[in-house]
Amino acid sequence: MNDVLDVALRLLIVFVVFLTLPLIVGQTEHKVMAHMQGRLGPMYAGGFHGWAQLVADGVKFAQKEDVVPAGADRRVFQLAPAVALLPYLLVLLALPIGPGEGAVGQVLDAGVFFVLAVMGVGVLGSLMAGWASANKFSLLGGLRTAAQLLAYELPMLLAAASVAMAAGTVSLVGILDAFEWWWLPWQIVGAIVFFVAGLAELQRPPFDMPVADSEIIFGAYTEYTGLRFALFLLAEYAGIVVLCGLTTVLFLGGWHGPWGADGLGWVWTLLKTAVLAFVVIWLRVTHPRLREDQLQKLSWTLLVPLALAQIALTGVVKVVIS
Amino acid sequence: MSPLPGFPGSGLAKGLAVTLRTMTKKSVTAQYPDTQPALAPRTRGVIGLFEENCTVCMLCARECPDWCIYIDSHKETVPAAAPGGRDRSRNVLDRFAIDFSLCMYCGICIEVCPFDALFWSPEFEYAETDIRELTHERDKLREWMWTVPAPPALDPAAEEPKELAAARKTADKLAAQAAARPDPHPGPQADPKGEDS
Amino acid sequence: MTLAAAAGTVAHATTTTVTTAAEARGFLSPTGVEIAFLLVGLVTFGAAVVTVTTRQLVHAALWLVVALGGLAVEYLLLTAEFIAWVQVLIYVGSVVVLLLFGLMLTRAPIGRSPDADSGNRRVALAVAVAAAVALVWVVVDAFRTTWIDLDGAPAGSTDVTGAGLFQHWVLPFEALSVLLLAALVGAIVLSRRANTAAAAREAEPREAEPRETGAGATSKTPHGSPAEPAPEPAPGPGRAPAARRRDAEGNR
Repeated sequence: MNDVLDVALRLLIVFVVFLTLPLIVGQTEHKVMAHMQGRLGPMYAGGFHGWAQLVADGVKFAQKEDVVPAGADRRVFQLAPAVALLPYLLVLLALPIGPGEGAVGQVLDAGVFFVLAVMGVGVLGSLMAGWASANKFSLLGGLRTAAQLLAYELPMLLAAASVAMAAGTVSLVGILDAFEWWWLPWQIVGAIVFFVAGLAELQRPPFDMPVADSEIIFGAYTEYTGLRFALFLLAEYAGIVVLCGLTTVLFLGGWHGPWGADGLGWVWTLLKTAVLAFVVIWLRVTHPRLREDQLQKLSWTLLVPLALAQIALTGVVKVVIS
Repeated sequence: MSPLPGFPGSGLAKGLAVTLRTMTKKSVTAQYPDTQPALAPRTRGVIGLFEENCTVCMLCARECPDWCIYIDSHKETVPAAAPGGRDRSRNVLDRFAIDFSLCMYCGICIEVCPFDALFWSPEFEYAETDIRELTHERDKLREWMWTVPAPPALDPAAEEPKELAAARKTADKLAAQAAARPDPHPGPQADPKGEDS
Repeated sequence: MTLAAAAGTVAHATTTTVTTAAEARGFLSPTGVEIAFLLVGLVTFGAAVVTVTTRQLVHAALWLVVALGGLAVEYLLLTAEFIAWVQVLIYVGSVVVLLLFGLMLTRAPIGRSPDADSGNRRVALAVAVAAAVALVWVVVDAFRTTWIDLDGAPAGSTDVTGAGLFQHWVLPFEALSVLLLAALVGAIVLSRRANTAAAAREAEPREAEPRETGAGATSKTPHGSPAEPAPEPAPGPGRAPAARRRDAEGNR
């Protein structure tokens, strides 16, 4: 009975985090982007600096009509948002935010593989949406999504493999237990490759070719309205949280910090994740969208070789120090 | 330009620096409904009608490129002022309306009005929920006259306005005449400039 | 092939790590895990059948996701956690995405495809049944009544799988790697040759094109001489691929 209660409590906490953190990231994006562009951003909803803007947006989405195009494949069309969103919820379950059993939803033996595998599944939602919408812009968006995923999955995996080699384990908790501060400079190339490839997998600007609004309207999500559209947006922001959390855990040492190791580890994790989320927003504001060929070229000619070089470096250092 | 022009990614870093610097600066957004905007002196907000000056010459309505000015009038006979004189007819304005859903704020009507009956007012908050209500009638246009600001001061070295010059000339002449009548000696020193023209 | 690989990996994991429990186990008092295993197996089987019978191409690919995911769950139930996630990562995350990409790039109509039915489905069925029988027979013959002790130390964890793969099975593993590498190199070589061939083939119509337009022009204007040179001289056959390559580079 106690076990059941424990599991239920953990699931509930993860679910609440899953619902709140993406909204916080979204609101931060509103405000940070506005100020980076010399604007103020939302100011009215909720009274104080528009803190409730996303709540208002959610209410608006809930009121909208849920339209399924006449020519669409109804069932696949309706299923797609769930397929896009649920994987990120599962990933969040495996991310440790602090030392010890209490600070992770579920300890997994092959955590790195689990996380990367499930994140890759999320892209299926975009593909389903793109195909089922019976819209050429959606189809183009789906195609671009698939091409982008195929190009960037590889460097991401290789970069993660480098860390796994360094730690000698593929468990997320194990990696963090083995972490030393000098891993930071050691794995910095891998970290950058991982982060950039993750951005591309999330289709965040400057890698937002699949949803390029000036060319193909909104890519795979063109035909979506109301709550289903909101779910896709939520998936994007949940993806940011997951990517930043994962980069923190794999490369930045998670709960390790210069001080406050006892009991305050989770603060470090959240802090690092927040900084990375800020970087995600910052990159979005600053850089223009990459063209499709530039996108592919960046992955195959820069990120993959860099990741391979990182693996080689990791292997050499590992052999030398052992 | 950059400290390391050849370094790969220096351009990307420069872009990031620009956005970060912008974020730390105060934003320039004006919170309009809370704070009124600072309008330029000759703002073209809306067209006010000084209907006392209007003679129903129809020039504004005819020159309007959008045909957005509607004028109705009738003729009225004014009895002769002096006994034995002729009766005069005069135009009386019945309706003067401007359809601001058509108006493109070119200001031609204001330019062509020979009697200074139309003016720019900086008033801009006259949005309506129905496009038909954007046709504003003469009472509304007359009310807007109160918001017309005084004309801005001239530049320091500007030429004197023609009407002021003319008015002063007449005044000077009258003064000179008045001065000449009681005093036998004329005053060439009174205003040589006025005598010239 | 998936099944074969899966069975092989399970075989690795089990034979190397599990102390075979030969004691009597009844089929009549199944545990919860066994029931779950059976149910998931049924779902997987059903999804697989739908995959090959549905007339809608993309639906087939999506049902394949269900089948492969079901397989991953089966691995999980057998405590082969590592294999399960790799299954999701490779098959669901990459292979199906590649499949969908190919489908959407070529032809993926919404609704039934009229030509999704193959004439030799009987042969296909026979091959499938033969393959299934062979696999099942091999697996059954290899394991008989071997049971995995689910309550003990996990028999399919990353540690155990890695150790088994690189200690007992390192030779087959390396052989497979070399095989895959050879396939990779072969694919690259083939695609390169096909590319140059295609370029050469494309150069020929280019050469022929102006002649055709010239003929069209003569038919329209009867007084024009057919020997009149085309406004754009056709690139020589030797120059055409180079020009194409230059074009491609410019585009890049």
